[in-house]
Amino acid sequence: MVGDEHVSMIPAAHTKVWNSEVNGQPQEVLAPSNAVLLDVLRDKVGCLGVKRGCDMGTCGCCAVMVDGQPRLSCLTMAQDVQGSTITTVEGLADGAHLAPIQQCFAEHGGSQCGFCTPGFLISSQALLDKNPNPTDAEISTAIEGNLCRCTGYQQIIQSIQAAAEIHRGDASPAKPASSAHSDPHPSGPN
Amino acid sequence: MTDGYVQQPGSNTDVRVDGKRVAGKIKFNPPGSGGSRPEMADRDMDFIPEVEGGNESQPAGQHLHDKYRTGTSVGKRTPLVDGNAKVTGQAWYGDDVRLPNEIIGRIVRSPHHYAKVKSIDTSKAEALPGVLAVSTGADAPQRFGVLPVTKDEHAMAVEKVRHVGDLVACVAAIDEPTAREAAALIEVEYEVLDAVHDPKKGLLDVDDPIHWRGQYHIGSTNVQKRVFQEFGDRSKLEQARATHHGKWKFMGVNHGFTEPHAVVAHWDSNGRLQLYTPQQVPHYAHRALATVLDVPMHQVNVIRTFVGGGFGGKSDPFPHEMCAAILARKAGRPVRITFDREEVFWVNRGRHPSHIEVQMFADEDARISGFEIDALIDGGGFASFGHVTSYYNGVLATAPYELGSFHYTGARVWTNKPASGAMRGHGAVNTRCAIEVGMDDLAEKLQVDPIDLRLANLLPPHSKTITGFRITSNGMRQALERVREGSQWDSKFRKLPLGKGIGIGCGFFISGSGLPIHWDPNKFPHATVHIQIDMDGGVTVHTGAADIGQGSTTAIAQVVAEVLALPLEMIHVRSHESDTSPVDLGSYSSRVTFMNANAAISAALEIREQLVDAASGILDMPAEYLILNDRRIYSKRDPAIGVSYLEALHKSQEDKGALIASGAYRTPPMGGVHKGAAAGLAPAYSFSAYVAEVDVDVETGLIKCTDVWAAHDCGKALNPLAVEGQIIGSCHMGLGQVLSEQMVYGRTGHLQNPNLLDYKIPSVHEMPNVTPIIIESCDPEGPFGAKEAGEGPLLPILPAVVNAVYDAIGIRINDLPLTPDKVWAAIAKKMKREDIAEAQDLPTPRLDFSELQQKIVQRSSQHGGRDSRRQRSEDTDPYINGVLFGFDPTVPPEDQDGDWKIAVRPTSEQLEGLGLAGSAWTKIEQRKMEDGK
Ligand code: FES
Ligand code: FES
Repeated sequence: MVGDEHVSMIPAAHTKVWNSEVNGQPQEVLAPSNAVLLDVLRDKVGCLGVKRGCDMGTCGCCAVMVDGQPRLSCLTMAQDVQGSTITTVEGLADGAHLAPIQQCFAEHGGSQCGFCTPGFLISSQALLDKNPNPTDAEISTAIEGNLCRCTGYQQIIQSIQAAAEIHRGDASPAKPASSAHSDPHPSGPN
Repeated sequence: MTDGYVQQPGSNTDVRVDGKRVAGKIKFNPPGSGGSRPEMADRDMDFIPEVEGGNESQPAGQHLHDKYRTGTSVGKRTPLVDGNAKVTGQAWYGDDVRLPNEIIGRIVRSPHHYAKVKSIDTSKAEALPGVLAVSTGADAPQRFGVLPVTKDEHAMAVEKVRHVGDLVACVAAIDEPTAREAAALIEVEYEVLDAVHDPKKGLLDVDDPIHWRGQYHIGSTNVQKRVFQEFGDRSKLEQARATHHGKWKFMGVNHGFTEPHAVVAHWDSNGRLQLYTPQQVPHYAHRALATVLDVPMHQVNVIRTFVGGGFGGKSDPFPHEMCAAILARKAGRPVRITFDREEVFWVNRGRHPSHIEVQMFADEDARISGFEIDALIDGGGFASFGHVTSYYNGVLATAPYELGSFHYTGARVWTNKPASGAMRGHGAVNTRCAIEVGMDDLAEKLQVDPIDLRLANLLPPHSKTITGFRITSNGMRQALERVREGSQWDSKFRKLPLGKGIGIGCGFFISGSGLPIHWDPNKFPHATVHIQIDMDGGVTVHTGAADIGQGSTTAIAQVVAEVLALPLEMIHVRSHESDTSPVDLGSYSSRVTFMNANAAISAALEIREQLVDAASGILDMPAEYLILNDRRIYSKRDPAIGVSYLEALHKSQEDKGALIASGAYRTPPMGGVHKGAAAGLAPAYSFSAYVAEVDVDVETGLIKCTDVWAAHDCGKALNPLAVEGQIIGSCHMGLGQVLSEQMVYGRTGHLQNPNLLDYKIPSVHEMPNVTPIIIESCDPEGPFGAKEAGEGPLLPILPAVVNAVYDAIGIRINDLPLTPDKVWAAIAKKMKREDIAEAQDLPTPRLDFSELQQKIVQRSSQHGGRDSRRQRSEDTDPYINGVLFGFDPTVPPEDQDGDWKIAVRPTSEQLEGLGLAGSAWTKIEQRKMEDGK
């Protein structure tokens, strides 16, 4: 029996109604008053595209847009953003049409294992919303809080540049995915 | 479009007025259209080899698979076939599997480095409302481990805990707070034992070794595995013109994948276990689960979720997978366990912390007369892949250079740390760094250019290394030449001002291991692929290959698309479930693309034959006249005569229904007969050369790598986009190890940085500008000539950076990572020693060529001609390591030189002079002690 002597490690939080608009849909869920946004989005709203990589603000996998600003949902108390408009990776596409940023990440190697991708998409979409004409350095600053262990970032930057081009209405997305001197037809050992 | 089938989405790049992309549609010819349709795509001649009538030139010789090239997919920059799932958030990783009625599991971990578990009291936890199951080691006494020879793990501690974070018990409860609380209520009584933290102490006899291997135990030490190898003639080493001696310390590093481990276990209504886990190697997990849970393998279905990065860190069968299954069985409900980031560090399996000592010798002709390597590696609490790592630290240094002799002593010790294991570049990375820096130093002492020194000492294509590895294709020479040119090496090396430096490093890695871990004595294939096509024309490919982000699913789809000349959208790869996938050994040792694509090609060829037969029946034309292209089979001579793919398919389905084919791949027999000859054997090897440029701030010791030219010989880039991604990603990971990443164990042996804040993975700002250069040497054994590209590219970046730092400030630091404090301390030491007041006055190394330079340039240009003839199979004479030293390539080396030796254990005279790791050989195995020896 757990007697009276048992002191709970985590003081039980009372449950509260949490409502916000997530990806264009009003949501009303019951969540502990001390829940972080990441847990509410994943466990209550069902946005499993929002990823948990560290739970302490070091990886950026959990980034979501809150009222247009990118935020780390693992460091955001759900109650603090009560009543806001939230966009997760699931909300970027327009129906069956991928957003340019999504299409470009898929096409230009911006995503390998893909676990960091939702966070990167949010950070870069937030950048492009503000600045459709970013330099590589501005892109780097925008994604500096996102960790990617697979790609080495280079193809991510290229993906974002390609998406920026589409955003600018530059209707020729067919540019080489890499500025690198790759060489599918080497001249031979001689 | 008015008629035909429509399918979407495709990769159409049309853009709507509002900037949104239009989902692509691919056009299909209706059955029976016969081929007059104008929209049929032209054959893409740029991707079809000249021998088959296309334009692609083949400098590296022809390939067996050339005649099946249709210009459809192979060699084209191809986005990952699962890319859309990843960018829409639909990709399901371990923690995204949510089953109805699930409960949450939590693991109780050891707070001690090393202790006996005296008792565990679970009663309080069990009594907590909401707790549904509690389990301890007593529930699962069976041992497991990834290698059958070293099964030393339990689901939970059975007798002892071996490192902080080792599993002791586990609980499952209705939600996470309850589970955490219950975990805290489990009371464990420990008797703390003397822990070993320093691997050097692991070599000593102790009262209570971390594991006990019975009669095979080495003394009463903590040595898990020791290796001795000696090849060649060491008597000439004394006359060396230049020698290098390097004593290295490498810190442990972690894979740092973004997805923490997670597992969901569910016993279905038939009592079968359904286990969802992000595994690189689901098959070994499958085996271990069956053993530990004591159920037959066919009662377990391992479902590989998407894997959020592996790099070797998700390739062991893990105790938490067993725990989830045990809890789920007890509770009768699905159990999900997800790790905190900290727990990822407790499981670890990262790169071994190592002490490596190398001595290298070059003779009067600037030939490499010997490598002597001693590697003591810190295995942590369990064996994991360590048996193999112990060999790899030595044997993967035997190429790309031709050696006069090779001497290796290695030892892996258990310590009370989280276990080390396999990590990208398994076992090869640290030694490679040490010897490539040694090559730089030898070049300096011989007063020659380090690239020329390498070029003059390369093994040619189609040769044998000193330990008997069979080298097939070899693009090392091209890689060196291309990075030299790309980086403008000759105008920079030893010419840059203080603080700026340029350096070179090479790499050599296996492309699949020759001997599978679990497979003998049966001659099972290493990889099997099934293909099924039903009347709808879609191609379902079943494979067990685990895509961990490297793009193996895409590569397999590509080769099938290529052979069958179908658009990629028609190929559906099913690879997640062990129920439906043929057994595959998993994603490790860079085997997946090589072996699975080979298996897929052979299955696709079977299907192709049936389709062509059917077409030849319909058209009444010999099969040899027919070619495949864009969903159509037609005559080479008159493209108007042909049938559509569907028509041929339906014809060949007559009387039997769906077309089904199975293809398999197995490595050819290879290798020598000495003990350990199998370690490092591979059907092909990759080669790479990188040049790195760095800026070193001499006032602070901060290093910034600015540019990297990265040439990698992957045989044939099936998907250049993915190969470049692998090269750049490898640079990133290697750069982390050389500049910032380290697992810091404090004075008490406690891991101080088990989180991503203190464990410093390079961010976007630390990344240099990487120029990937793909070298295609067309491997005869590889699928369409391909070899690995996932691990080999990591190796050269470490030495390239270390060498560049020397070029910049004239100081070699043999202690990775090169953090600013270490670099600054080295600068300060040098200033003091040489009485330099200002860091800005440090001398930088300069190079005056000796007479040898001209000699080796001449030699390498001769070898260049030899190599290209061999590569194109114009010269097929045998070549063994040693020819450079005057050997007859047709006679085994031991028969042509009296002083040539092959030994796998030291003689008693040698025992004295062995290095740190070598000293493990001074201990006697238990069984020999009993004999009274
Ligand atoms: S989970 Fe939020 S930053 Fe890592
Ligand atoms: S794609 Fe794997 S972490 Fe970024």
